[in-house]
Amino acid sequence: MWETVAQAVINGLLIGGIYALVSIGVTLIFGVVKIVNFAQGEFVMIGMYISFFLANQFGIDPLLSLFVSMPVLFVVGVLVQHFLIRRVLGPNDMPQIFLTFALSLLLLNLALMLFSANYRTVHTSYSDEALHVGGLYIPVAKLIAFVVAMALSAALWVFLHTTDLGKAMRAASQNRDVAMLMGINPNRVFCVALGIALALAGAAGSLLMPFYSAYPFVGQVFVLMAFVAVVLGTLGNVMGALIASLMMGVAESLGVQYVGADSGLIVVFAMLLLTLAFKPTGLGGGRAR
Amino acid sequence: MQKARKDSAGTKARPHQASSKRQGRREFLIKTGGILAAGAFGAVPLRGWAADPVNIGALYPTTGSMAQIGVGCVAAAKLAVEMVNDAGGIKSLGGAKLNLIVSDVQSDTTVTRTETDRLITGNKLSAIHGCYASALTLIASEVAERAKVPIITGSSSDMLNKGRTYTFTPFARASQFARAQLQMAKLVSDTPKVAVIFENTAFGTSTSNGLKELAPGEGVEIVMFEPYSAGFTDASPLINKVKSSGANALFSVSYLNDLILIVRTVKQFGLNVSINGGSGGFVIPDFYKNVGKLAEGLQGVAHWNHDVSDDAQKVNVEFKKRTGEFLFEYAGGLVAQTFMLADALERAGSADPQKVREALSTLDVSSGYAAMAPGGKVKFGPDGKNIYGHPVGVQWQDGDLASVFPKEDARKPLLKI
Repeated sequence: MWETVAQAVINGLLIGGIYALVSIGVTLIFGVVKIVNFAQGEFVMIGMYISFFLANQFGIDPLLSLFVSMPVLFVVGVLVQHFLIRRVLGPNDMPQIFLTFALSLLLLNLALMLFSANYRTVHTSYSDEALHVGGLYIPVAKLIAFVVAMALSAALWVFLHTTDLGKAMRAASQNRDVAMLMGINPNRVFCVALGIALALAGAAGSLLMPFYSAYPFVGQVFVLMAFVAVVLGTLGNVMGALIASLMMGVAESLGVQYVGADSGLIVVFAMLLLTLAFKPTGLGGGRAR
Repeated sequence: MQKARKDSAGTKARPHQASSKRQGRREFLIKTGGILAAGAFGAVPLRGWAADPVNIGALYPTTGSMAQIGVGCVAAAKLAVEMVNDAGGIKSLGGAKLNLIVSDVQSDTTVTRTETDRLITGNKLSAIHGCYASALTLIASEVAERAKVPIITGSSSDMLNKGRTYTFTPFARASQFARAQLQMAKLVSDTPKVAVIFENTAFGTSTSNGLKELAPGEGVEIVMFEPYSAGFTDASPLINKVKSSGANALFSVSYLNDLILIVRTVKQFGLNVSINGGSGGFVIPDFYKNVGKLAEGLQGVAHWNHDVSDDAQKVNVEFKKRTGEFLFEYAGGLVAQTFMLADALERAGSADPQKVREALSTLDVSSGYAAMAPGGKVKFGPDGKNIYGHPVGVQWQDGDLASVFPKEDARKPLLKI
């Protein structure tokens, strides 16, 4: 009995780590730039394809391709901010929504055209391995993904709290106008925020590759969870998104075990509704950090 | 040549013969002259005319989510038409060649309706085959019924046999697949305890309900019966549940991506269950490419397999040469279907869709490429069902899909893994 519960919790935490990488990106962009990036899932997809092609063409381990997918997507993020988002930032929200939504559709259909709808998987020596600890199974690929995801989240936290640029980003997310008055260059901060957010999406893609299939629609699977986590953990709050993602992973897993295999998401959404009912600002307490 | 073609068309009892009679004397002279001239060359005059190709419509999703399988189907359809043509075409039509007209239904039901309509109204078709996915075939067959053009399909939905007269289904029906799966489970274990997991869609629900209904009669105990939301991020919660159910066999009614995750997770958990993945995404080369060695020993059911006969193996070798993949279930079935159409055209002696339908309804083959089916016989009942149709149980062995069930179709022994 306890084994089943413990196993469910472990499964939930491990997948929650991946949700966290996606949702931290979304919440960072929202917090700093104040736009909702509907295309975040598609950048996860791009990260997966980068890892897939590096593994397939050059035999590079998907985990090592992290060092390619993250910088590439960082640059993409800077370019997206500088050439696209910067032009629609203004008092009206609509162009921003249309822009990121259009970006999502564009990337999705480009991927369909270039890579076809086929599923692509990468086999690594650890893809199908699992650690066996006292009756519990911990899949190695997922454990690695979880550890790296947590390390990246921690690194981001340190960056936001100790560096000038990180502090500038937090300042911009707390009050953009005052931050600008204090001499912070908004476009520079926004570019870095987009870059980091997309790099995290790329990292999620690379970390997923050893145990999940890449296909053009794959981002949509993860972005839904990310949006829920972002709201649950207070919009713009990085730590909140991280904790909410892990909670959602566990809630989903326990939901599948004890409510029904098609009800995992019901538990997640029930948790979201209850949180919003009693704490409308989300778990982060309404503060963007 | 053009004239000879025109006049012989007139002499062959066709509806507009009467109108040609009304044409002038000059036309008459040209015609008779043509016939006389043709006669001077002996017994071959009609050949030039009769080589008018016979149009066969092929409706497959070559773009969209089912594109990959659709593209494979089209490759097989082209191969089949080439084979018929290289063997001399339709002899009763003077060696007429088959002309394949491919149309992309884009994995979409609405597009399927308009494309089928367009294909039928824009071309003089003798017959159609398609569309891989039952949901698409149901619509195409509706349109074809109304236009009175016969459609032959490997799609397995039992709905295709209800109230239709122009629809022919030479292979096993969905309702037969469940029984085969249950019987296979009994071969693996004397006391099969089956966990059925299925995606909560029409496909998943109807297939799994079939399993549930038949299980008691087949002496199989179902210990877990669980729908899941298709397209999950992680299979481990579900497999954790299978583990706690104490099942020794797992039936998964899933599309490819979910199934890949399920199989990998079962192995990671070190769960000792035999897996039966059903048909569809499980019996295509891509499955093995994605799952690799873990696929070894996994079972499934199919309406066709490339080892059903020597003829099928021959086609398989040629298909492999062209595409690099073995001839998968649906593609292989449609090669056989093309030969069934050729057989019908041969006996009908006409490209008229109504006559082709008549000839299909009396089709009765037990040898050659048209009889490439589990059991090796095809004869349609009044509902368009092949009265000998049954599925074949398959198992991944050494990267290849081997037929292992039932006994008369088995080409390799079922490995108990």
